[in-house]
Amino acid sequence: MNKNTRTNTQSGSGLNVSSLRRQYFPFLTLRKPKDYLAKGSFDITFFLLVVALLTIGLVMMFSASYVNALYDSSASVENNPYYYIKNQLVFAVIGLVAMYVISKIRYDFYRDISFAVLLVSYVLLVLVLIFPVEIPGKEEFKRWLSLGFTTFQPSEIAKIAIIMYCAWSMERRKKAIYSDWKMMIPYMIVILSICVLVYLENHLSGTILILAIGLVMTFLGGINIKWYIPIVVVGVLGVIILVTYPEILEKYAGQRIVAWLDKDYDPQGARWQTNQSLYAIGSGGLFGLGLGNSRQKHLYMPEPQNDFVFAIVCEELGFIRVAFIILLFVLLVWRGFVIAMRAKDTFSSLLVMGIVFQVGLQTALNIAVVSDLIPNTGISLPFFSYGGTSLVILLAEMGMVLGVSRYSKIQKT
Amino acid sequence: MAKWSPRKTLTARSMFIVVIVVVAFLFCIGNLVRIQIVEADYYKSKAEENQLYDTEVPAKRGTIYDANGNIMAQSASVWLVFIDPHSVPNDEVRGKLCNDLSEMLDINGDSLMKKLKMDKYRYLVIKRRIEYDLKEKVSEFLETSYTYVVKDEATGEDYTRKAYVKTMVGIDPDVKRYYPNNGLASHLIGFTEGSDTGQAGVELYYDDILTGIPGRIVTAKNANSEAMPLQYETVYDAQQGTNIVLTVDENIQRYLENALEQAYIDNKCASANGIVMDVQTGAILAMATKDDYDLNSPRDVSDEDVQAEFEELQAKRAAKYEESGKTPTAEEIEQGKQEDMENAELNVFYDNIRNVTISDTYEPGSVFKTITACAALDQGVADPSTTVSCVPGGIHIANRTYHCNNHTVHGTLDMTGGLTKSCNSYFITMGQRLGVDNFFKYFEAFGFTEKTGIDLPAEAKPVAGVTYHPLSNMTIVDLASSSFGQSFQVTPIQMVTALSAIANGGKLMQPYVVAKTLDENGNVISETQPTVRRQIISAETSAAVAEMMRKVVNEGTAKNGYVIGYRVAGKTGTSQKLSKPGEHVASYGCFAPADDAKIAVIITIDEPHGGQIQGGQIAAPVAAQVVENTLKYMNVEPQYTESELKNLDTTLSNYKGKNVTETVKELKSKGFSYKVIGNGDKVVSHLPGAYQTIPQGGVVVLYTDGGPVDTKTTVPDFTNLTLTQVNQRAAASGLNVKISGNTLVNSELVSYSQSIGVGESVDYGTTVTVYFKSNTGVTDLTD
Repeated sequence: MNKNTRTNTQSGSGLNVSSLRRQYFPFLTLRKPKDYLAKGSFDITFFLLVVALLTIGLVMMFSASYVNALYDSSASVENNPYYYIKNQLVFAVIGLVAMYVISKIRYDFYRDISFAVLLVSYVLLVLVLIFPVEIPGKEEFKRWLSLGFTTFQPSEIAKIAIIMYCAWSMERRKKAIYSDWKMMIPYMIVILSICVLVYLENHLSGTILILAIGLVMTFLGGINIKWYIPIVVVGVLGVIILVTYPEILEKYAGQRIVAWLDKDYDPQGARWQTNQSLYAIGSGGLFGLGLGNSRQKHLYMPEPQNDFVFAIVCEELGFIRVAFIILLFVLLVWRGFVIAMRAKDTFSSLLVMGIVFQVGLQTALNIAVVSDLIPNTGISLPFFSYGGTSLVILLAEMGMVLGVSRYSKIQKT
Repeated sequence: MAKWSPRKTLTARSMFIVVIVVVAFLFCIGNLVRIQIVEADYYKSKAEENQLYDTEVPAKRGTIYDANGNIMAQSASVWLVFIDPHSVPNDEVRGKLCNDLSEMLDINGDSLMKKLKMDKYRYLVIKRRIEYDLKEKVSEFLETSYTYVVKDEATGEDYTRKAYVKTMVGIDPDVKRYYPNNGLASHLIGFTEGSDTGQAGVELYYDDILTGIPGRIVTAKNANSEAMPLQYETVYDAQQGTNIVLTVDENIQRYLENALEQAYIDNKCASANGIVMDVQTGAILAMATKDDYDLNSPRDVSDEDVQAEFEELQAKRAAKYEESGKTPTAEEIEQGKQEDMENAELNVFYDNIRNVTISDTYEPGSVFKTITACAALDQGVADPSTTVSCVPGGIHIANRTYHCNNHTVHGTLDMTGGLTKSCNSYFITMGQRLGVDNFFKYFEAFGFTEKTGIDLPAEAKPVAGVTYHPLSNMTIVDLASSSFGQSFQVTPIQMVTALSAIANGGKLMQPYVVAKTLDENGNVISETQPTVRRQIISAETSAAVAEMMRKVVNEGTAKNGYVIGYRVAGKTGTSQKLSKPGEHVASYGCFAPADDAKIAVIITIDEPHGGQIQGGQIAAPVAAQVVENTLKYMNVEPQYTESELKNLDTTLSNYKGKNVTETVKELKSKGFSYKVIGNGDKVVSHLPGAYQTIPQGGVVVLYTDGGPVDTKTTVPDFTNLTLTQVNQRAAASGLNVKISGNTLVNSELVSYSQSIGVGESVDYGTTVTVYFKSNTGVTDLTD
């Protein structure tokens, strides 16, 4: 199954251009396009879970955004209550098409482009620091690049790039990884360099997410387990230090930690959004106020369609239905895990695990933020939060998982 | 890991990661359980604090009607204006808003600005009780907006924003109380203040049921204070207050007040007070204290009164300084003036609203002799024929000597004589015969040691040892002075209730002013049933004393209380005020008709300074007017004695078209005087007209066909004249007079009042009622 790659590694000892090209950009030379057409059927369970979450997410995003859009007289929204859902639906359709197309491509293609994606990601992360799209009121954040018709966050690309790169590279070096504990170092260089670039965007939450994804990828890839004890210790110490001395962080991040620690801190400012979120969740109770009946979305909750959409979901649907939605996410992660375990090779396994871990982690962190378990960081809720390109990227990732599922083998015990 | 396999490592580590993710989700679910289930109420209430705006809708206060359903007090819907200072964006808008509002609502700009700056508040009332027109104006104003400029701090650019008035100002319903009759029955009805809460009278006593239950409108509003869609609005309707129907009849109240008003002016007294009671039920038909006050503006006090009170307080203050020997500083003097002025205003206000008829006590004096008479008869220590000798030198009790008024010696009297002449010796003897125990038994039975229980606030509570002698330490000297109504005090309502018991066969009633309560649709909620507190004397005693009291009116000190045809039973009283030496209370209590009593009346004139102080002189005539008007109004059929019949009015035949000479002849034969106007032969018309009433021997004015002549005459002054003089003057003016007063006695009658004012122009033949009273043989002052 990994015949081609292995051959390349063995024969590509010379450092000539064509060998490099074959090693790192195999999609340019090795195969013809028709080789990349995937066969077999994808995992219907995973597909249904994705469709279910996307549907619920769209409905809830619509409900949460309706009032906010109605009162928004800015030039783009123009008090059109359908503004957000219209945009999101367009991207959802694009994303679903992309998901299907991507699932029809053999995952070997993604292996082949992995290194290229990483390089593109570096370029984008540098570009965003030079040509950021400034969003009024959020000028200090350099997170967005313009595509002309829409904007996107290079850090979203960076996440999948890290996953793909690690999966690709660690598959190639699995023996070396097993035998040499120092193999952690080159991966950490890549991961940390990406993290630094994202951090320079003033994007702490993105930095943490990428670091977490990167570390999990190295862990799954088989890096010596001893590395993770000091990493966990350092992580815990870091959290303790940040919580104790939030002022060492930049002002906006530090303030959010203070606001998380002190529940009475600046209720009209730093804690406003979190408080409104808690009021919304609490108001929902067991059965919720009913779809569309959120009160907190009536301008109390700032930007209810974005990171805090889950609070409105809790308010309208109530605990029982929310628990069901969380169950859908858990099942998605579980089904991804099953697909990964049934995958034919290490790359596809790692790719799927990385993707579902990313979705799971982001979901858990978002819920934790919304319910005040952790400080308020800008993490969106997959399938629910408003944001076109991130939805397209998410569905593309789901397409990759589905693509891998076409080649599943029934796992031997 | 002896047998290393990348696959197994991947599986194990993947499993581990999945478990971590699932554990993270479980944490989240656990946290949601806490927020949505365990602490849901807390967060819900916090959210509602945000979202829900609770607006109170005042309940309409119940209406107060008189016995005939005339409105005495009514609340009308008005509006109030409030502001939401929190929503005012900046000083520029605040200034503009302040200007516009203060101009529109006519309120002080400075105090409004102060309120506008209290930006922690979201609801401050700035004007209450605005009427419809102004409310409409404010409503229009609410639809406007101000534009203002804000500078964006980051870019330095100017943005133009709009501040909508309706987000900063609002209108809510309010209520206002109207009293259509202003001062009528003011002390009984009372008034409201503040948020329409009763402050006096029925308004205070029945405040609970009049108030009703305010409604609420709970609206969910968004963060811009605009209403969320309608589904979030919950309306709890206001429940209107209960309506009250008084036992008081507006007409009887007017009879009482008109009579008292005149007495108040004539006697230059501290107060003139009266109660008219239904003797069978205890219902109050009228109750008044003069001077009264306007219920629509109870706090408006007369500057003269305040100035007088202020001077009095200043004098007291000066005396205090003199006493302590300190010289006040200029600052202290200034401060003292300010304090006294404030207190003076308050004192006058409280004095104005004081219902003397139930809150003040007075020495009943000789009126109380009726009670002693009842006790003596009922206890059997005397009968009507029991005689006592009133001798020179008076009567000695222990080491004290009591005389009758002006040391009059009445000689030997029976009980009727004792009452008609108001002999102190007679009733001191009765008191001594009864003894302390029996006297106190009746004193208590007649209700003088307890409140009457009338449904009005601030009824004076009798206090043993202060307002009356308790049984435990009543000496025979106390007994002696008590038996003719001195040395203890009662309220007018106690006295009239006691008199009613004599009138109704011995039942002591509980007086009341509210006949029934009605819901908003006029359905009766409750009806007051007359309460008999107890049977205190036998029907025989009651009848005997009533008959004696009738004689007091017919031939005794109460002859000015006489009303033709209505057999009034009464007793006068003139007492010295123990609390204010030299001052007197003139009083008169009566009921009528004596043998089938309908009403009892008490009149007290406190501290009269009009030259006369006797109850028989100044209180009895007031009651006579009230009794006459009231019983006529109540359609009580008069019964005339033969001698009374002579003075009755008669009806004139129709002389229209008849020959003048013949008519004159006929009139002469019937005893009428006449006056012919014009020189024709035929009577064209006459005054009084056909079948109209005319006093016996009155003047008939005949108009002949001799051409138009002046038909008007001027009313002369009929007061301070004798009967004969009045008749002469009437004939000269071509007017008829109706004599009111006791004409049966041969004492000298003097007119004191007339129904049509001096100088008024009226038709010839019009009947003017002239009120007579006697000033001799009506004194009963006890000393």
